[in-house]
Amino acid sequence: MSFISLIVKNPFRNKTRSILAIIGIAIGIATIVALGIVTDGLKSSTEDTLKAGGSDFTVMESNISDMLFSSIDEDYVDKIMETDGVEDAVGVLTAVQPIGDNPYFIIIGIDPAKLYLSEMEITSGSAFSSEDAKELVMGKVAAENLNKTVGDSLTLNNTDYKIVGIYQTGNLQQDGGVFMSLDNAQEIQGEEGKVTMIYVKIEKDANVEQITQSIEDKYGNDLTTVASLEDLQSVDQGLNVIDTASWAISLLAIVIGGVGVINTMIMSVYERTREIGVLKAVGWKNRRILSMILGESVVLTLFAGVVGIVMGVVAIQVILAMGMSGIIEPIYSLDVFLRGFLVALIVGLVGGFYPAYRASNLPPTEALRYE
Amino acid sequence: MNEENIVEIKDLRKSFDKGKVTALNGIDLEIKKGEFVSITGPSGSGKSTLLNMIGALDRADEGSVHVAGYDLTLKNDLSEFRSREIGFIFQLHNLIPNLSVLENVEIPLFERNLSGEEMRERALKLLEYMGLSDKVNRKPTELSGGERQRVAIARALANEPSIILADEPTGSLDSKNGQLILEHLRELHEKEKVTLIMVTHDMNVASLANRTIEVLDGRIKT
Repeated sequence: MSFISLIVKNPFRNKTRSILAIIGIAIGIATIVALGIVTDGLKSSTEDTLKAGGSDFTVMESNISDMLFSSIDEDYVDKIMETDGVEDAVGVLTAVQPIGDNPYFIIIGIDPAKLYLSEMEITSGSAFSSEDAKELVMGKVAAENLNKTVGDSLTLNNTDYKIVGIYQTGNLQQDGGVFMSLDNAQEIQGEEGKVTMIYVKIEKDANVEQITQSIEDKYGNDLTTVASLEDLQSVDQGLNVIDTASWAISLLAIVIGGVGVINTMIMSVYERTREIGVLKAVGWKNRRILSMILGESVVLTLFAGVVGIVMGVVAIQVILAMGMSGIIEPIYSLDVFLRGFLVALIVGLVGGFYPAYRASNLPPTEALRYE
Repeated sequence: MNEENIVEIKDLRKSFDKGKVTALNGIDLEIKKGEFVSITGPSGSGKSTLLNMIGALDRADEGSVHVAGYDLTLKNDLSEFRSREIGFIFQLHNLIPNLSVLENVEIPLFERNLSGEEMRERALKLLEYMGLSDKVNRKPTELSGGERQRVAIARALANEPSIILADEPTGSLDSKNGQLILEHLRELHEKEKVTLIMVTHDMNVASLANRTIEVLDGRIKT
């Protein structure tokens, strides 16, 4: 028998208590994993939105808490076009309206002539033709969810818009909404002459940093440039809030799980006091007893880690099956699963240390006398 | 320390409960290598405390304790001494319930840097010696009281100790099983020449030893 196999065997002496402890810790890990899967999906989707149409960077209003709150004068599109090194620029207005089951239905207004910048693929029908026509193209996911097809219409702000095409971009947020002319979107939002952001494509050999710096120098009071997700996080507090919430929940899971592990392991040590006395009598060093109890704690929490990860993935699948597939785009990254395991390991080490320390320092005669 | 002696104790004193209860009150004792000594005395006389002092399970308040060349009043960590020199047999077998008979006997060998195969071989040999070859994969709960105590003896022998300390080894057994255990211990002493120190309150059991020491009120009765 190896020391490791002894450590793996011991936590399951009292199966009911161990299973309950594992479930308790696993719920925390499942929350962390599920939140991580959703957050990563959201970040990826937001990054896709930023890089829409292969644009090199995005311009939005400075000093805003969320990119959807950005509102800038449409005139800036021409000013940005005049900047050295800029090949093309297009202003888009992004609005969110509850449609059908989707409370976050995205409406994107864009100049029809610059629709190519969105890199969308029209899978049936055609693109909307002019600024004035009451037409739109609908994302594949939205069409499936709303059961719409080319030729149908969609009512927005009491106006019927004809669906002239179905598109897909591969971005869940965009595929779950519609594209229409900028004028129509501005009318729906009541934001004539305004855009949410400007997508900028630069010339082949131009330097992104130089151009963004030049725009910030000129229009820094009103505008800010975002070339990456990290840039966005410095201006958009929404992602930061999600990140902070995710870490706060992880910390909470560690604390709650840690208390559960301390309780389980203290009970285990308490019940095995006499046995620990025997181990000391046969010559086990304090260090070995400490390693054994700490190891048992880690075995318990790593089991909880596996169960928690499975529970987290299942929870996401259940949420998707409940009709949220048009809103949530899960990303199952190794990073999220490793985070779950890391939290499990920390809970095991933190929660197991005190019981292990206590066991290793029990006086042998007292432990042997224990009834 | 006299080379013939394996235990040398001088003026050993030990009290508990912040000095309110005196367990040992000036013990002087010498035990020779290979001797079979029984320690008798009424309940609370201090005989088990004396045994715990020899096995380094407890520390002296005053006096000196030398066992197998170790000065037990000096070193802080005496786990290596216990692992190399001492084999304990308790009144209750104290086997680990979720481990098999074989695994219970392997437990003391973890501190000896042996391979898994070496540990297994040594434990199997000892269980064969104790007549338990057919029970190696059983759990302690599947054995009789006498069989459990034989497993406990095998465990005590695992590290090839120079001294076996037995605290009322037949105390929880019926007379037939008790007799069997005593025969095993006597055979162990005679064949393996191991020093055997046994605490008992039963004078018949004590009479099996080469020498009997009576402890009364924390002192050796002369």
